[in-house]
Amino acid sequence: MSTPVDVPAAAAALRDSTAEARAGGTDVMARLSEGLAAAPFTDLHRVRELRGVEWRADGSARIGAMTTVAEIAADARLRSAYPALTATAGALATPQIRSVATVGGNLLQRNRCPYFRSAAFDCLQKGGDSCPARTGDHLHGTAVDLGAACVAPHPSSLAAALLAYGAEVQVEGTEPRPVGELYDGSDSGRDHVLEAGALVTGVALPVPAAGESAAYRRATSRSRAEWPLVEAVVRVVRTGGAVTEAAVAAGAVARTPLRLPDVEQALLGASGPEAAAAAVAPVPDLCSPLPQTGYKAVLLRDTVRDALERALEPLEA
Amino acid sequence: MGTTVNGTPAQIGADPATTAAEFVRDGLGLTGTKTACNAGVCGSCTLLLDGAPAASCLLPATALEGRSVTTVEGIGNGAEHPVQRAFAAHDAMQCGYCTPGFVVEAAAFVDRHRAEHGDTAPARDEIADALAGHLCRCGAYPGIYAAVASACAGEHDGAAESAPPRTEAAEKASGRARYTTDVRPEGCWEAVIVRSTRAHAHVLGVDAGGAHHVDLLGADRTVRYVGQPLVAVAAPTAAKARAAAEQVSVDYRDLPAAADPAAARLPGAAVVHSTRAERGAAPSHSEGFVPPARWKDNVRGPFNMGWRSATAVKRIREAARRGDDRLVTGVFQTAVQAHTPLEPHACVARWDDAGDLHIHVSTQAVAALAEEAAERWELPRGRVHITAEHVGGAFGAKAGLRVETVAAVELARACGAPVRLVFDRAAELTDGGHRPASRTEIALLADADGHLSAMTMDAYSDGGVSVGGMVTTLARLMYGRGPRRLRDFDVVSHRPPGAPFRGPNGPQLLWALEQAVDDMAHRIGEDPIALRRRWDGNTKRHALYDWAAALPVWRERTAGAPPGRFRRGVGVAAANWMYLVDSATTIELVVEDGTVVAETAVQDIGTGARSVVSGVVADELGVPAGLVRVRAGHSDLPYAPASTGSRTTASLGPAARDAAAKLQEEARGRGAGTAGSGRLDAAALAALEGLRVRGRRRRDRRGYVTPFALPDGGTIGRGFTGAVHVVEVEVDTLLGAVRPTRCWAGISAGRIYAERPARNQCEGGVVQGIGYALYEQRRDDPLTGAVLTANMEDYRIPGIGDTPEITVHFHEEGWEHVTGGGVGLGEVSTIGVAAAVGNAVFDATGWRPRELPLRPDRILEGIGAK
Repeated sequence: MSTPVDVPAAAAALRDSTAEARAGGTDVMARLSEGLAAAPFTDLHRVRELRGVEWRADGSARIGAMTTVAEIAADARLRSAYPALTATAGALATPQIRSVATVGGNLLQRNRCPYFRSAAFDCLQKGGDSCPARTGDHLHGTAVDLGAACVAPHPSSLAAALLAYGAEVQVEGTEPRPVGELYDGSDSGRDHVLEAGALVTGVALPVPAAGESAAYRRATSRSRAEWPLVEAVVRVVRTGGAVTEAAVAAGAVARTPLRLPDVEQALLGASGPEAAAAAVAPVPDLCSPLPQTGYKAVLLRDTVRDALERALEPLEA
Repeated sequence: MGTTVNGTPAQIGADPATTAAEFVRDGLGLTGTKTACNAGVCGSCTLLLDGAPAASCLLPATALEGRSVTTVEGIGNGAEHPVQRAFAAHDAMQCGYCTPGFVVEAAAFVDRHRAEHGDTAPARDEIADALAGHLCRCGAYPGIYAAVASACAGEHDGAAESAPPRTEAAEKASGRARYTTDVRPEGCWEAVIVRSTRAHAHVLGVDAGGAHHVDLLGADRTVRYVGQPLVAVAAPTAAKARAAAEQVSVDYRDLPAAADPAAARLPGAAVVHSTRAERGAAPSHSEGFVPPARWKDNVRGPFNMGWRSATAVKRIREAARRGDDRLVTGVFQTAVQAHTPLEPHACVARWDDAGDLHIHVSTQAVAALAEEAAERWELPRGRVHITAEHVGGAFGAKAGLRVETVAAVELARACGAPVRLVFDRAAELTDGGHRPASRTEIALLADADGHLSAMTMDAYSDGGVSVGGMVTTLARLMYGRGPRRLRDFDVVSHRPPGAPFRGPNGPQLLWALEQAVDDMAHRIGEDPIALRRRWDGNTKRHALYDWAAALPVWRERTAGAPPGRFRRGVGVAAANWMYLVDSATTIELVVEDGTVVAETAVQDIGTGARSVVSGVVADELGVPAGLVRVRAGHSDLPYAPASTGSRTTASLGPAARDAAAKLQEEARGRGAGTAGSGRLDAAALAALEGLRVRGRRRRDRRGYVTPFALPDGGTIGRGFTGAVHVVEVEVDTLLGAVRPTRCWAGISAGRIYAERPARNQCEGGVVQGIGYALYEQRRDDPLTGAVLTANMEDYRIPGIGDTPEITVHFHEEGWEHVTGGGVGLGEVSTIGVAAAVGNAVFDATGWRPRELPLRPDRILEGIGAK
């Protein structure tokens, strides 16, 4: 086990060994007990420079990879600049997970498919040659086909929020890349495209937009503490009461988080919540559900609609 | 690596696989921190990391480096935190296994809230948000809401003025209460069960290498489900035991399997139990006696408990032919519900030098288990010593001699050391027991006067390899004497066996029957409560109907589905249950160190058995509660019933009263007490030091239904308990979520011995019923039958935010023939809840739900969302 204290040492430790990076540990430790991860690990908790929010001269923020989800949710300046991000951070998992889980770990966590998580099954994510969920139980599977045989939706809610901001992910030793390029929807073997040994150091957000309002919604059975059936992150920027910029991202429906450009286009010029229903009308046609996930097409549309109606509430004077 | 735990420096070991929970529990012996789900879901393991709550089961111990850690033992800096007093005062617990986690999180929340807002009670939603990462399987959430709100309001800053409603509350709130999973004797070995990876196979050989092991497979050397125990291995440490388990190799010869219950009924399906002997040996998920029935391949039955069956069938056929609109028919389905108590099945066994057998076990049947163990290991009963000091939930899944005990005892003998065996959550959710799924076809016919003219029900229970479906049998006992055909079937498949679950078969029956009755009320244009009152001959339930009909929520409900996204609806359901008692129950009182100690073998699984005993004794003797102690949970103590069949309180209460009366009589005889009255103060107790008396459960007036005790010690008494639940829901028609907002639970179980724990149990019954209605569903791979919901993230039990505001109403009359005047309520308080939710959803949406659970996808499909 290695416990580097700075980024170069952490990057070197990851590069020179097969030890998986461990941040908050919430996903790694779960996989460890499921037999899907193995010690040793490269522990990142000593790398202080990876933690915290840095504000740049242009008013944009860079969030260190080891910043916890709870810290993001509670950060007043982030909430004012990037309300969709903080709303998402505050709504995922539970308080005692958010207090240790990190943004870097959230982006790189593995999927929640019970076939993947169970030692009783082989699957494409574990080197197998077929997806047992596709022929078996996939009630919580994908509803938008991006070309993968694997049907496990991507689990990262923060990825959907960061996608809605067009944020960039910083990986040590490489150029920053858009968060969407962290994932490949046609890949059945992995949940992100980074090579083993890569070190995510942070995410960089664009300059905040004035007049932004946002909402995050997830559809679940229980009121709290449940992985979403579908989730929606929406941002609208209004000028003179009319929408001049819109970003809509969806999670839990595909192998990657998705932007919904058709909905975004339809929102331009809208001025109130009543515009939401029409804007989301094309969503079911964007879906290509599996036998058991047909409900997600309608549920996604209406979850996006719910989020939009909240975001499009009239601004207070 | 250094850290600080509860203010004391500690060193963290270097093993990267060690969790923070293992570090504090196993490394530091701070066993107040529990691990239940091991997936960061249930919150039992919550500790504070620099003051912020964190799930320690997923936290690497190494991450504690340089941090300040507070466990439940350190909350309040060595004194009691106001939250701990509040949890005790509001009875915010039942079994107590989740309590330390709740306390740790709530303490941080209360401190923060008071710092920010002063001494004000927060809104319900704020409390729910703060405690969203905690699960209580007993459903003690109403008490938790009340405790947290009042602690925030500064109401528990000083010592409590009166004893808490639950005798052992302070132990549970402080983390001092010791459960089987906390027991680790010197030199204890750890055991692991190796389970089948095949749905159906002959096991040709099992090679455990050099490990100490015990064979757990039956004589036919056949496995019938994925997860079936094959062999248990033991080693001096948990890591070595896991490694030994991984080394076990099993030689299977695969056989065709019927892992899907629908496929199991098809012609040519693989047969699960093919011989007479196998069928006889099939495990049962019912309590008590399973009546004989014929088998055809994988279908067992029918077992018919109706009367005038032919008349019932004829009337219903004719009504169908003429299109009678007073004929209600439907097919209702329920899902597999796992017990998943937060303390898993666990046993620590030890043979002492004299050959006595000592077993710590998480059981709901201490005395019965001692008998079974004595028989199994051929020991005199007095040489078997069962201990279950605290039991972290059971719900029916922890009765009898089960595999964890068999394996630990055998291995303890083989290893010459104490052996500890604890199910992991996957084993618990696979093989720990469940309420079978069911499919019930029902038809009800009303005559021109609106009376029940005929009823037919066919129920198919789906309990994997187990049998015991008696769903419709219970319909013999409700709604008068109209002709009825009641047929029960079991469909067996290559999936894990069920176990009795709180009101076995009851929820399945009522999900169908109480919705069909509701449907009938709408057909004939009658108020659903009024119709039930007419059909139901139970006079005690009549009182509950009158109470329910008078509730404002019922009187003011609006007919027809209102428009809009969020639709409110109100539903009602009635429930009926048997009254059981164990007439062999005895309690001894001994005056010891100036206090009265009540001794009973009884286990307290969260129902408040200790509180019943101490309350009765203190009341009878007229002494303060603080002068009565209860010594329980040990088989060397006087005989007590199993906590099954809602029989515990009805058995213990009168025995405790009888013992107290004898003590008083003795005191009077000796001239002790105030003016020789027998009223006992401290001086009188001092004079009686060492006195021991024995009380018995005296026979009911008019005797019992069964002349002799059943094999499990139970006797069926006269009279039926009753419940009427009124549930209000709000249906989000856009996103398909059903939110139960308020619930009224009317319970007829006679005199209530310990009001707050009884109410708590009824509230928990509502919570479990809501889980059954809305969330809980074991899901299996259709090909192999392997359980997919083998963790508590995927197997969803209700959280605090899913809990409605609950009002419990006790109707205490009608049980005067019962000694002590009160009977059990654990089962009747939960079995009708899901049906009331179903009827409320119908009221809200105009759509009649038929299949449980009411997931968003089903709601959306049902109401026709497009």
